[in-house]
Amino acid sequence: MPGVSYPKEVIRDLIEGKLPWVQVKSMISGYKDDDRFDKYVQVLQEKVPWKEKILLPLTDELYIVQKGADRIVKCGCGHEFGDYRENWKLKALIYVRDTKEELEELYRYPSELDPEYCEIREHYCPGCGTQLEVDTVPFGYPSIFDFLPDLDVFYRDWLGRPLPHEKEFRDLTYDLVKRWAEGRVETGID
Amino acid sequence: MEQKVKKGIGWGGKPLKEMWGEKEQLYQETGCYYGLRELPLMKANPLKLEVLASRLLAAAIAGRETTRMISASPIVREVAELAVILYTPEGDSILQSTGLLIHLPLIGEVIQWMIKENYEEEEGINEGDCFTSNDNYIAGMHSADLYDIMPIFWEGDLVCWVGTVIMEPEVGALAPGCMPSGATERFVEGFRFTAEKTAVNDRHTKAFERRIRLGCRMPDLFLLDRKGALAANIKVREAIKKIIEDFGVDYFMEGTRELIEIERRAQLERVKRRTVPGKFQGESSYEIYASRGLVPPHHAIDRITLVPLDFYIRSDGSYYLDFDGTGSWGWHPSNITPAALRGALSMIITTTISYTGKANQGTFLAVDMNTPYDTFVYPSSPNVATGLLFTWPVTGGGLWMGQQSRAFFSRGFVEEFRSPVTFSYNTSAPVAMAGKDHWGRDFGFLNVEMMGCYGSGGFAIRDGILADALVQSDTDMGNAEVWELVLPVLWLGRRFLPDACGWGKYRSGHCVVSTYMIYKTQLLSLDTAGGGHCERICPNTGMFGGYPGQNGFGKVMTNTNMMQLIDQRKPLAHGEGYPGVGDLEGNIRGNLIIPWVNSYVKAIFGHGAVSQMYFGAAGAGVGDPVKRAPALAKEDLDNGLLTIDCCRHIYCIDASYDDKAEKWVIDEKNTAKLRERKRKERLAKGIPAKEWWQKRRQDIVEGKLPPLLKEMYNDSLAKGQRWPGEFRAFWQLPEDFTFSL
Repeated sequence: MPGVSYPKEVIRDLIEGKLPWVQVKSMISGYKDDDRFDKYVQVLQEKVPWKEKILLPLTDELYIVQKGADRIVKCGCGHEFGDYRENWKLKALIYVRDTKEELEELYRYPSELDPEYCEIREHYCPGCGTQLEVDTVPFGYPSIFDFLPDLDVFYRDWLGRPLPHEKEFRDLTYDLVKRWAEGRVETGID
Repeated sequence: MEQKVKKGIGWGGKPLKEMWGEKEQLYQETGCYYGLRELPLMKANPLKLEVLASRLLAAAIAGRETTRMISASPIVREVAELAVILYTPEGDSILQSTGLLIHLPLIGEVIQWMIKENYEEEEGINEGDCFTSNDNYIAGMHSADLYDIMPIFWEGDLVCWVGTVIMEPEVGALAPGCMPSGATERFVEGFRFTAEKTAVNDRHTKAFERRIRLGCRMPDLFLLDRKGALAANIKVREAIKKIIEDFGVDYFMEGTRELIEIERRAQLERVKRRTVPGKFQGESSYEIYASRGLVPPHHAIDRITLVPLDFYIRSDGSYYLDFDGTGSWGWHPSNITPAALRGALSMIITTTISYTGKANQGTFLAVDMNTPYDTFVYPSSPNVATGLLFTWPVTGGGLWMGQQSRAFFSRGFVEEFRSPVTFSYNTSAPVAMAGKDHWGRDFGFLNVEMMGCYGSGGFAIRDGILADALVQSDTDMGNAEVWELVLPVLWLGRRFLPDACGWGKYRSGHCVVSTYMIYKTQLLSLDTAGGGHCERICPNTGMFGGYPGQNGFGKVMTNTNMMQLIDQRKPLAHGEGYPGVGDLEGNIRGNLIIPWVNSYVKAIFGHGAVSQMYFGAAGAGVGDPVKRAPALAKEDLDNGLLTIDCCRHIYCIDASYDDKAEKWVIDEKNTAKLRERKRKERLAKGIPAKEWWQKRRQDIVEGKLPPLLKEMYNDSLAKGQRWPGEFRAFWQLPEDFTFSL
């Protein structure tokens, strides 16, 4: 059945977890609505207190937005993390749970979980203190860059409306840490 | 008049090898299955093709249900771990019944292996034959999964295959008889059927039956499962013949090919409409402590193996999974193979995106992988044990599912988002048993009640599902009373474990803890043969600020006073009780053991001993726990899934218990205070990432890591092509950096 579409209010309730399960189930089982992305972004744009255009939601708190010629990661609170091609976690506040006691706060039953082996990194937004992501990785593993979207392919080839100021699809995180290693001064939180 | 010369058993008298070669060539040339740039049957009459697909599906489901009526095993009758799948003559899946979703491509790979091994000429493939396979060197997930494969002929031509997969509780392996944690080589993993002809003219051969009778501890169950599979295959075969009678053989052959090509295109289109292209980074690690177990000394090596995963959604809608940087395989049963990886992807894709009931070979033509040879994901020795190939599906598979969920979320299809979890991360088969049963007979058995009791991960818009099982969505734990017929145990309870979820704005589903008493046996051993192999290192499953869930664990108690307590009608243990104050320890006297997971429990159990197993699949939470809606926390408090300690501490939600109403009441004022305090605490204790990076880099340069982790990194640095450069670049290390041991 082509042409399925839901009112914006339905999409809003869906995102906010307010839509009754029966309706959610029918949305899962049914044909997908072609205009979902645009309505989704419209609803989110109305929720945030800032004006930059949302290009892509990354998580329930983070968005890639257009800022001038740049595309940056921005928190719902307004805090800006910089170029979306750099792992935003390297612009966050990090706290590592490194004692057994801190692990037992989360895990109350018998467990071999060991902070010498497992690094539990909590990433907080420097603006609002929201816990944005938790990495649980072998001690010493590089920061996980969860998602680097290919925004130009998405907008140009999949949605059929190219974005201005095309960017090279490349992970810039390594350039950032290189600057750190070279002792170059950065702006912002880093 | 031209005389047709029949050269082979395939359609139109072609040899199967020739058919397979033509099909491959056409795909290479056109990028379309069987070169089908056009879909003439679909174009002419889509409804007729839909009817063909529906009738094939109905035949497969009817075959599956037939097996369940014949089998005596609770794994089939109760938990329903089986499926029936149809394949083209070349071994490409057409569609499958309900049931296990992981084997869809794998039985086809066995058929293709048979074709390449020239079974057509050397073994003979005839009407009424059945070939049995559980050899993971060819394809499979573990030796417990038996494939029974039957050719279907029409007027002398092989027009399709039907395959039935059933999971067995015992296959004549080293104790406990199935998936033993102590196996390091394939030679102790029980029966090994290498696509072997086991039935002729619809009857099992006597040689096969004799081999089973003397080859395992529970031959009746094994043979009844085979007869059930044979019956299913025959039933499907007859149904297919009726379908061909109705549609004509040409339509059947061309139609099944079109169904595959239609699905290939549909999968690419689904990806383009529901996701966002890009690169998703992840990793999983696997802890193998072989020195703990009973293994040959030269295999008693402890190791942690890294499996990085870069997942790409490409511009054409295809998926690409790159396992570059994966460490070495080892002499243990928990490596993985490329075929098993394809099985894992089948399970997840058919559950999360291609869930129309028409997933088939076309789905997998849209997926590509890089699986480096001679690594954990592609062992180079055919002799290695493969009883627990579920390692990556259990842990890495879940993580991959989470990566795909990010793409759904970004595109706006938040209802499709599932945070990572496929099975238990730690103990996917915690109670394999061997010894004497309650009838005094030798026995061995793999209890898979946990298949129906994992908690799912949280969702983007709601809490996770209690007692979920992604591996097989229609399953449940089975009735305890039925399990008790075959196992020497009495269930004391199945309860949810409070506070054991993955914390988040939307928490994971809870998982069941099973408590039972060992019954009428004095000689029982337990094996916590596992799946996930995560003990010291928690899998990276939390999303959007949620935490991974509680890992699995067991508690066992021997030399108990259970009989006395029962006589005196005193309290026993039916679940864990209040966290940290277990009913088992509180109410029962005896020797308490907290066993290692993934190994034998080093004790002998007799009548009255008690075992408590938490199957530990609680997935991760989604979102910052401090943003959880108080109403959801109240519901958990009221249902006994959450204690007030964790409610205050983790969710920063305060509540008090109303004795009269017997309900919890949220204290909104205090909640606001607790949340504000937490926010300030985070801003004060969090350090800038650059500072963390500098400190951690120094730890790495100075080698301040446990030796097992240094070995793990060195292994991946030696094996990888791309990954080593990225690791060194992230930490700004010299190009030849390795850890000094």
